[in-house]
Amino acid sequence: MRARRARLFWLSSALGLVALGWALAACPGRYEEPLTKEAIAHRVKTSDGWELALVQYKAHGPAKGRPVLLCHGISANARNMDLDEEHSLARWLARQGREAWTISLRGTGDSDRADPRQGRWPGYGFDALWSKDLQAGIRYVREHNAGAAIDYIGHSMGGMLVYAYLAQGGDGLNAVVTLGSPTRLDWNSAMAPFLERVVKLMLSDETAVPVVWSSWLTLPLQAELRNSPIELLLYNPEHVSKQSWKRIAAFATADIQGGVARQILGYVRSGRFESADGRSDFRAGLAKVRTPVLVVAGKSDRLAIVPAVRDGYRALGGPKEWLLMGVENGAGADYGHMDLVIADRASTELWPKVLDFLDRHRGP
Amino acid sequence: MRILVAIWLLASAAAFGQPKVLRRKVLTADGITLALTRLQPEASRGRPVLIVPELGFGGELYENSLAAFLASKGRDVFVLEPRGHGRSSKPRAWRLSQLIEVDLPAAVSAIEKSNEQAIDLVVHGYGGTLVLAACSKELSGKIGRVVALSTPVEAELPNEATRQLLSSGGGLTRLGANTWEMLFARGAKIERSRLERIRTEDLSDLGEAAAGDLLAWMRSGDLALADGSSLKSRLAAYERPTLLVLPLQDNFAHPEFASPLREISKAPVTVRVLSRAELHAEDYSHLSVLLGSEAATDVFAPALSFLDEGTARQ
Repeated sequence: MRARRARLFWLSSALGLVALGWALAACPGRYEEPLTKEAIAHRVKTSDGWELALVQYKAHGPAKGRPVLLCHGISANARNMDLDEEHSLARWLARQGREAWTISLRGTGDSDRADPRQGRWPGYGFDALWSKDLQAGIRYVREHNAGAAIDYIGHSMGGMLVYAYLAQGGDGLNAVVTLGSPTRLDWNSAMAPFLERVVKLMLSDETAVPVVWSSWLTLPLQAELRNSPIELLLYNPEHVSKQSWKRIAAFATADIQGGVARQILGYVRSGRFESADGRSDFRAGLAKVRTPVLVVAGKSDRLAIVPAVRDGYRALGGPKEWLLMGVENGAGADYGHMDLVIADRASTELWPKVLDFLDRHRGP
Repeated sequence: MRILVAIWLLASAAAFGQPKVLRRKVLTADGITLALTRLQPEASRGRPVLIVPELGFGGELYENSLAAFLASKGRDVFVLEPRGHGRSSKPRAWRLSQLIEVDLPAAVSAIEKSNEQAIDLVVHGYGGTLVLAACSKELSGKIGRVVALSTPVEAELPNEATRQLLSSGGGLTRLGANTWEMLFARGAKIERSRLERIRTEDLSDLGEAAAGDLLAWMRSGDLALADGSSLKSRLAAYERPTLLVLPLQDNFAHPEFASPLREISKAPVTVRVLSRAELHAEDYSHLSVLLGSEAATDVFAPALSFLDEGTARQ
């Protein structure tokens, strides 16, 4: 009996230690990287009553161009564009003399979460993000700059949002850069039917995909497993460090609202890029856009594959440029999806080209 | 899955026997001799398949990979080497339009003499795009289904290395090893000796005229043809059912140059993106779609399945 109790004691102790170790390793606080004193927090209210968090970085020295608003992609928040001192497109732009602003879309980062008691209903989709959130962010940054048009950089869905905004006649933008932003999603993927089934069974417009908790729970494994599905889909470890990726997983993710997931899965099914009610064809609307746009794709991006990103470039009817980030064009490695904003070499290989485009399109 | 494919291959070899390799010459209307290699199974099934190589590449690349696979599955397979390539005549100067207007009709006529059915096509790269252009005129009514491997329909200069290659007469045989690998086999899982054999024995320089045509096509996005039409107008009229294979790591014929076939043509197009995210063995390059260690599973078997689907519907 005593021997059995002793065995039980040692076994439970060992399990407890493993659990403790996991909890310590998984603790997102270990990777926390607070914003610097330069970051100035703002809040803006959308026309439907959501408060969104914006962060402003003032230009170092005299301003050398228009302010730039930076918008993250799906299942992310503003820290994607502002991870840490070496991997922050926002701070890098400020150092080059551009006032930079990041925005967290509704339900992400420090922005409002859904709360029906406050009239913030969870059943929103992609359309609310471009027609309410983007509109509010652009208006707010313009107000801080005497109403002048601003520049914009969107990563992944942040680029899709600006495509929809521009296609629907949205104004106030002088020049735009999209980074890994697809406009056609029907590529016959083997994963699509599976995803569709999962979303149909488990997700309503009011529920969300729990990306944040999943990231935290798997934090010790993040960036440790070679060829993991996350690595294959999201980044190229040749120039995204483990530390950067763990930081993304620790504090730069966000849950995906059911309505957003369902609208985008609709694009995967139909090949269309349109409003949820089907009345506004965003792709067709891009032909009328006259705002200059630089479209950037990553050669190794397996999420927003190059043909999917190129589709948006083809659809644009105004001044446009195409940039493919890969070894064949002189990059140190082929860029994956997240590499466009957090690769170690992005600040020397990619962002100067982005800034050069914005500088060449300063407008009147 | 890979084990199942291996078993399937062995079973097929037993069922259809080792194909006979027959080499013949075809004389074109303008007096050029073309090499047409036939891999004929003991018992054939389905429509014959004509494989048309990428510009600058000879038949070896295809005979010992995709053609052998299709023949082992009972398809009567022909591999054409157009003028200037492999065992065919090598005129001092030839133009891309001659492939469309002269070589392809000659090869298809030769195949029609032994087969009354429509012909399925498997085409590769920029050479493949020329075949798609011929489908709406010279080969009209003669083609069944088409598998298009990396066939740019909205071509652009993909990179500086390609510009240099084409500006200097398309000297594929003179390409340095690093450039060769970057353009055609980046990240590829290909047996090194096999890749080296292709590089040293199976390439032909394009020559000033053809390289100039290809460069002009990439720069302008179109290629004027002798009958007054252009590649673009031909592709707009293209309507054959097509499996479009898009290898993500292709640095010579980018997948984004090929994917607009869905938008610009009338053809029903099925897309197959080759990507590790789709659990394929690699992202696939221009050559690994043929020589990759897992190409039989990831490329050849789906290609055959697509062609067979058309046969079943006949």
